Amino acid sequence: MAIHSFDELTSMEIDTLREIGSIGTGNAATALSTMLGKEVRITLPEVRIMGYNEAIEWIGGPEAVTAGVLVKMSGQMNGIMLSCQQLEFVNLVMHSMLGLTVRDYEELDELGKSTLVEVGNIAIATFINALAGLSGISVDLTVPAFAVDMQGAILAVPMAEYGGMSDYLMTIGGNFVCDNKQVPCRLLLSPDIRSLNFLLKKLGVAE
Amino acid sequence: MNDKITVGIADMKMAKGSGILITYALGSCIGLCFEDPRLKLGALLHVMLPLNMEAGRKNPLKYADTGIRETLRQMEAQGGLRSRITVKIAGGAKMFEVNGGNLGNIGQRNIESVHTILRKEGIRLLGEYVGGNVARTMLFDVDTGQACIRSYGKQDIVF
Repeated sequence: MAIHSFDELTSMEIDTLREIGSIGTGNAATALSTMLGKEVRITLPEVRIMGYNEAIEWIGGPEAVTAGVLVKMSGQMNGIMLSCQQLEFVNLVMHSMLGLTVRDYEELDELGKSTLVEVGNIAIATFINALAGLSGISVDLTVPAFAVDMQGAILAVPMAEYGGMSDYLMTIGGNFVCDNKQVPCRLLLSPDIRSLNFLLKKLGVAE
Repeated sequence: MNDKITVGIADMKMAKGSGILITYALGSCIGLCFEDPRLKLGALLHVMLPLNMEAGRKNPLKYADTGIRETLRQMEAQGGLRSRITVKIAGGAKMFEVNGGNLGNIGQRNIESVHTILRKEGIRLLGEYVGGNVARTMLFDVDTGQACIRSYGKQDIVF
C-alpha cells in the first residue's frame, strides 16, 4: 500500500532508504576522495523524518550560515537534493584544490564559489547515479544552484516545495570523515511522496 | 534584555504590552508583524506557502490565506480592531536560481498572495522588505511597534 505521509513508513522501508543513503553517500565519498586526493569516509547515514522546526534545530540552528548547493530531480523521481557545506568543509576543499583557506564565506571569490558548486554537484550526481543504478529509475538533474546564507532558509526550500503535501521533511543522507575528522558537509535527499512510493516499489519493499 | 519569543515555521505568537517576537531565517517564507497600536497588541506570523488547498486543513498557520485570517481572528478575540490593525512584512526571497521548474517562484507567489489577502481583509500594509535572494530574520518589538530585519553580511534594517 502506498503511503500518504512520511510518518507512515515502516521500519523495513526506512532500513531500505538508509541503505540507499549509505550507498549514495559512499559513492559520493569516493568521488570526493578522488577530487581532493585524500581518503574520505562516511559516517553512518541517517534517514530522518522531522517536523519543520525540528529539522532546522537538527541541522544546527536557523541562523548559522552555510554554503548550499541545490539540484532538482525530475523524470521518474522528483525531489530536491542539497549539499550543505559548512566552513570547515569549504576550507578542506579550498585547501586541497586551490591551496588557500578562507576565514569567512565572504572571502570566497568566483573561482572559490565555482569550485564549491562543482564539488557539491559531483557529490550529488554521484549519489543520484548510485540510487538510479540500484533501483533502475532514470532521474534527470538540473544544473546546480548555489547560495551562501542562513541554513534555515536553505532547508526551507525543500520544505516549501513539498509543504503542500506534508507537514514533515524527510531527509536521507550523511556526513563525511576526512583525516579522522568529521567534516560538516551533509548530503540531503528530499524526495516527494509519490516518488518515494515509486522508489520503494521499484526496490521491492513497498507492502 | 528581554527574553525573545521565538516563532517557528508555520507558527504565530502574540504579545500584549511588551515583548520581542522573533522568527529566524525567512527564505521564501514570509513573516508578518501585526499590530494594534492602541492596545499594544502585536502578533508575528511565519507562513510558508501562498494558498491553503489541503483537504484536512490541520495547520492553518502554514499558509498565507488561512494564517492571516486565523491571526486576525485571534487578535480580534483579544479586543483588536481591524480598522486599527496594521502589518509589516518581510521575506519572499528566491534562495536558489534554478533553471526549469517553478522552484524559485514560491517566494514571489507568497508575496502576491499576502498582498491580495491583506487587501481583501482590509488590513493596512505599513512597510515591506520582500523579494531578492537573501534570508531574513525578523524581530518585532511589540512595545514600540518597530520591526527589525537581520540578514547575513548586511546592515540591520529597522522599519
